[in-house]
Amino acid sequence: MNPQNNKLNITIDNKLYAVKKGSTILNAAQENNIYIPTLCAHKDLTPYGGCRMCIVEVEGARNFLTACTTPVEEGMIIRTHTDQIQKERKEILELVLSEHTSSCLICDEKEACRNSMTTIRKAGVTTGCRYCPNDDKCELEEVVSWLKIDEINHPVFYRGIQVEKNDPFYDRDYNLCIYCGRCVRMCQEVRMANVLAFTQRGRFTVIGPAFGRTHVEAGCEFCGACVEVCPTGSLAEKYNKWDGVAEGEILSTCGLCGVGCQIRIQVKSGKVIGVLPAEDKLVNNGQLCVKGRFSVNELVNHYQRLKKPQKTVGKAILDINWDEAIEIAADKLKDCPPDEFAMIVSPNCTNEDLYIAQKFVRSVMSSNNIDTTARLYYDSGLNDYLNLMKKSSALSDMKNSSAILCLGIDLRYGRSVVGVEIRKALTREAKLITINPNEHSLSLNADYWLKPNPGEVTDYLKTLLKLLNNESQGIKDENLNAISQILKNSENPILIVGSEFLNYPESPEIFQQINQIADKIGAGILSLPAQNNLYGSLLMGAYPELVAGGTANKNPSSTENNTWNTYKISSGKRLKVAYIVGETEPTSKKIADFVIYQNIYPVEQKELVDLSLPAAAFTETDGTFINGEGRIQFVNKAIEPPGVSLPDWKIICKIAQKMGAKDFDFSNVAEIQKEISQNSPRFKNLDKLKRKPQPLPEGITLQANQKQDPRDKKTTASYNLYKKEHVYRGIPLTDKVEGLKKLIAEE
Amino acid sequence: MNHDYSGIFSNYAGLEGDLIPILQQVQLKFGYISTQSTKEISKFLKISENQIYGVASFYSQFRFTKPGRHSIKICMGTACHVKGGQILSEAIERELDVIAGESTKDGRFDFHRVACLGCCALAPVVQINDDIYSQMTVIKLQEILGKYE
Repeated sequence: MNPQNNKLNITIDNKLYAVKKGSTILNAAQENNIYIPTLCAHKDLTPYGGCRMCIVEVEGARNFLTACTTPVEEGMIIRTHTDQIQKERKEILELVLSEHTSSCLICDEKEACRNSMTTIRKAGVTTGCRYCPNDDKCELEEVVSWLKIDEINHPVFYRGIQVEKNDPFYDRDYNLCIYCGRCVRMCQEVRMANVLAFTQRGRFTVIGPAFGRTHVEAGCEFCGACVEVCPTGSLAEKYNKWDGVAEGEILSTCGLCGVGCQIRIQVKSGKVIGVLPAEDKLVNNGQLCVKGRFSVNELVNHYQRLKKPQKTVGKAILDINWDEAIEIAADKLKDCPPDEFAMIVSPNCTNEDLYIAQKFVRSVMSSNNIDTTARLYYDSGLNDYLNLMKKSSALSDMKNSSAILCLGIDLRYGRSVVGVEIRKALTREAKLITINPNEHSLSLNADYWLKPNPGEVTDYLKTLLKLLNNESQGIKDENLNAISQILKNSENPILIVGSEFLNYPESPEIFQQINQIADKIGAGILSLPAQNNLYGSLLMGAYPELVAGGTANKNPSSTENNTWNTYKISSGKRLKVAYIVGETEPTSKKIADFVIYQNIYPVEQKELVDLSLPAAAFTETDGTFINGEGRIQFVNKAIEPPGVSLPDWKIICKIAQKMGAKDFDFSNVAEIQKEISQNSPRFKNLDKLKRKPQPLPEGITLQANQKQDPRDKKTTASYNLYKKEHVYRGIPLTDKVEGLKKLIAEE
Repeated sequence: MNHDYSGIFSNYAGLEGDLIPILQQVQLKFGYISTQSTKEISKFLKISENQIYGVASFYSQFRFTKPGRHSIKICMGTACHVKGGQILSEAIERELDVIAGESTKDGRFDFHRVACLGCCALAPVVQINDDIYSQMTVIKLQEILGKYE
């Protein structure tokens, strides 16, 4: 056994092992499959040494040492479960259990109860066995049974703490808490949100925010990271508390915003029971925001989902089968002239859906009338926003950045994973400047927080640009002077642009100024749009001005010399047939003589559509998204869509085939991707894809909308829905996800 | 509520380690740590209010309620305990509708139970402001409370 350079020789339980220098006894043991019980240790957290379960005997040491905090040394002789250690562990754990409403751990009927778990009949009511979720994730129970503890030789001290149920998404029962501190360390070390802290002391210690505030009041981001690391039932997700153990998990991409977090969809009995973050080093680093973590299951399992095709006959809604529905659609579309047809498609759809949609419009309908609702969302700032995406940098670039400028973005709920990366950058001495009229999740961390009133933003940015151009004469503003110095002297600066300024009438100017600042200081831009696949919709050509591959359409108008777009829904020529894919009804008036509506939820005002086709959500289909960084990401089908619902591309193909079109006989998304790759070389060899981000190609330009006066209610009122940020396929998440209602107040 | 904190903060560099001295100075100036205080300290030190509260609530020297006009301390040391300190404490709680560590609603008294006042021969002992009352009974205590408005 020659000691190698980076290895040490140690003895664990009379066996020799060569282990990595610098690892702890616990790491060394785990690497060699030796079990040492732990409760407070966690792979993502720094060693804590709090629970004392991992004590081991080290020859020569005066006391037992905690394996999680003791680094290995050459020649160490370690014993992990001598009789005396086991006795001490039992004693320690019994003390822990004396403060835990723990009867289920030592209950005689534990095994019989396991399958039903929610019954209280089998155990005393006061023992609280009803409190824990039945997800089989109780680490305390594992250690108790490993130590064979079957009785507690201490008087039980029940803390009688009121269960906290007022906050959305998860309940907290600190009577079950064992003070391992995992949630506190998660909140402080990893998320750096600092909402959880140990308060009070001794037997009165509780975990929670200051002054007994609720988590909503205390600035919690509801990322759920604390829930995931809790080794007991103290923290439990409300929605899937009784759903049991997931049967499997599917790796996929979250479709709720342009960050594109990698997720593990938890599946049981054909239902999404939860979503957990994937360990992805490129995008979300094992973290999620409240939308990805807690709202997907509610959104896709909702009882209101559209499950069958429906037709409107007079005032009645009739369920019909697919054959009839496709026939009706094909029939209406066949006779529709190209300039009297329009398709509105959602930038939440997959690339494959979007490609098929535009192909249908162009080759079957011989029209160019296809547009997404992004045009209405970005309004007059659309083109300038796209220009920001042409300078996009990667989220991981923040690692090398010494200055971060956040413009009009609040990262508390949506995109909170970006906030985590920013706070990480701050621990590396990066400087943070935020420009936001409102209090936001980074206002405490920011080195400078500028609060321009709406209307003043352009003035601030203009002044900042002057300072960056060394035209500082007469500019006395100390903050702006300091900020310009920081930006000038920074390495790899990054500008992060949010949605706050989108509703300002001067948004085009603001985006242009941001662009100029980026040019001046050589900064990358992270724009991370609200629409998860905005980039994809552009590259697939789901706009009159663009064709597949994202190149300019030489002749975007259909027949007249006038390009159609969503702005003309209510003002342009009356449409004969409108086909809405993955969006809700755009106005309160019917937009065409015949409206085909294809989405995951039924339309709210039934009289506005004639035919409803049930579509699949992103958890129910395969395909790809392109996130705000320009990274192609995989969407994998986790469950079957409800009822007879189908993915968008399949429905469109069926209609196209019914209309006699030949090139629509795709049987899976790989075949569509093959066709896409003819226009977009990036789609070649998707399997070997390195998922490299790529800024939006220079050529992608859309006709900017006329600057609108927001006070002119006539032009904007009907599109208000499309102004909301937290929307999936036209449906505000707050409508379907109960907990988000409490958190996000969208106008 | 617009107390001036800048005078206190100007003595510190704004490092994490300044938290406890700042808390002490704030308590000295205002008598307790208010939600307003934690907010101001939070902004100055860039530490969340939750963490500040976590630290402050660990130490018994910090209080989070406004002190009353008069301060009652009841000794719970060994001698006073044996001679009925607990009964006095319960009497106060009942009489003034206050729990140990907090102040009465009308702001007249704050009430604390303390370990030993150092005059065990006089047990049970009650201290109100700087006055020591020895060999107390519930009736005597009720009479004495009337002296403080």
